[in-house]
Amino acid sequence: MYPSAFDYHRAASVKDALKMLSEYGEDGKLLAGGHSLIPIMKLRLSQPAHLIDLGGVRELATIREEGGKIVVGAMATHRAVQSSAIVRAKLGLLAECAAVIGDIQVRNRGTIGGSIAHADPAADYPAAVLALEGEITIEGAAGRRVVKAADFFLDLMTTAVRPGEIVTQLAFAPIPAGRGFAYLKHRQPASGFAMVGVAAVIALAKNAACESARVGITGLGAKPFRAKTVESALAGKPPARTIAAAAARAADGIDALADIHASAEFRAELARVYTRRALEAALARAAAA
Amino acid sequence: MKLAGETVLSAPRERVWDLFNNPERLSKLIPGCEKLETLGPDEYGGTLNVGIASVKGVYSGKLKLEDQRAPAHYRMLVDGKGKQGFMRGSGTLDLEARGAKSTAVKYAGDVQVGGTLVQVGQRVIESAAKMMLGQFFAAAEAELKAEAAGTVARQGILLNLWRSIVRLVASLFGRN
Repeated sequence: MYPSAFDYHRAASVKDALKMLSEYGEDGKLLAGGHSLIPIMKLRLSQPAHLIDLGGVRELATIREEGGKIVVGAMATHRAVQSSAIVRAKLGLLAECAAVIGDIQVRNRGTIGGSIAHADPAADYPAAVLALEGEITIEGAAGRRVVKAADFFLDLMTTAVRPGEIVTQLAFAPIPAGRGFAYLKHRQPASGFAMVGVAAVIALAKNAACESARVGITGLGAKPFRAKTVESALAGKPPARTIAAAAARAADGIDALADIHASAEFRAELARVYTRRALEAALARAAAA
Repeated sequence: MKLAGETVLSAPRERVWDLFNNPERLSKLIPGCEKLETLGPDEYGGTLNVGIASVKGVYSGKLKLEDQRAPAHYRMLVDGKGKQGFMRGSGTLDLEARGAKSTAVKYAGDVQVGGTLVQVGQRVIESAAKMMLGQFFAAAEAELKAEAAGTVARQGILLNLWRSIVRLVASLFGRN
């Protein structure tokens, strides 16, 4: 289907976009990469009367180092994140995650800000953003605020972003040297979405015990989450022996989604298996560092 | 799709029953409900303007209550449709007193859903339904508390979404 009729506006700056958002209210919708929004509009499940394109707001597409953190602009494409020298060197997990999103066309247009603001339960980025404990800057008419990743994803496709606000950037502390990380997912064969995706970061102590682990899981439930039970099962112990048991807790307490591609039980099993694989891959890299 | 669950509301059973049987008060609790009017004995009709993120739609529907045993139990038949999809189903609602000022609400239902929304969003339909139920109960709780305090509860989709999240977090810490 064609989308229903809409007016297209190109924002020149963040302030411009905010002004348009407040002018059009409920009838206005931000357009980032469009690879989640446009398909929904073509199905006429969403019919915004006004589209506000952020594509021309150059300052939102930068990737830079600032104040010791890696700052990724909300409009940075997956391709830009995947190929950025800074991200590959200091925030490798994010580049690894970006590299497996969708397909080449999606990666050329899709943006990190759009992905987390849309918060599809099967999106890849949220797992990595949670595991890396990113901080998300949200700008609105009332000013700017920073929300920690742990407080950003609230419920099914519901985030801390309020109507009339824009996600402008994500900031991450660089991954300290010596830590191993991995992002592994079970791809939905047609769409490339993560039926389950697991991002893991492992830090080893001097005696090779696991000092800390961070595990972000997407695709399993209505929202992405940090698998705290897995993390605490690993902390302080020799990882090689505890990974299997820890990964077995990955789906604990989560109401798993179900559809024709995977039942809730199968998704839970996918979560357990991929958590184990991601932790083992992260561990192998930590030991090698 | 089967939906079942239990929640606790802070009011005596009779007042919860009154709330759930009063279409005017109920219409303020149902997310996006624009109109709920009585069509006949125990039959109500209304429109819902509701959605998640940018997927919003208008649905018109009918609700029929039967097998009513005040103040403990009733069965409800629902039939709703909109441009994006339809839903048809039935469910039961059971109220159990938990002390003088608290009621356990047990719900169980079976709904058939179809249409574009379901074909495309199959994996999220159940979560979306649970989310809306959460908002409904949060709104009911606020309404019952306000009634007890003699004030008027503010309702609204975002406010009830926030309330339902707070309730969820509080229940995880064992305070509900």
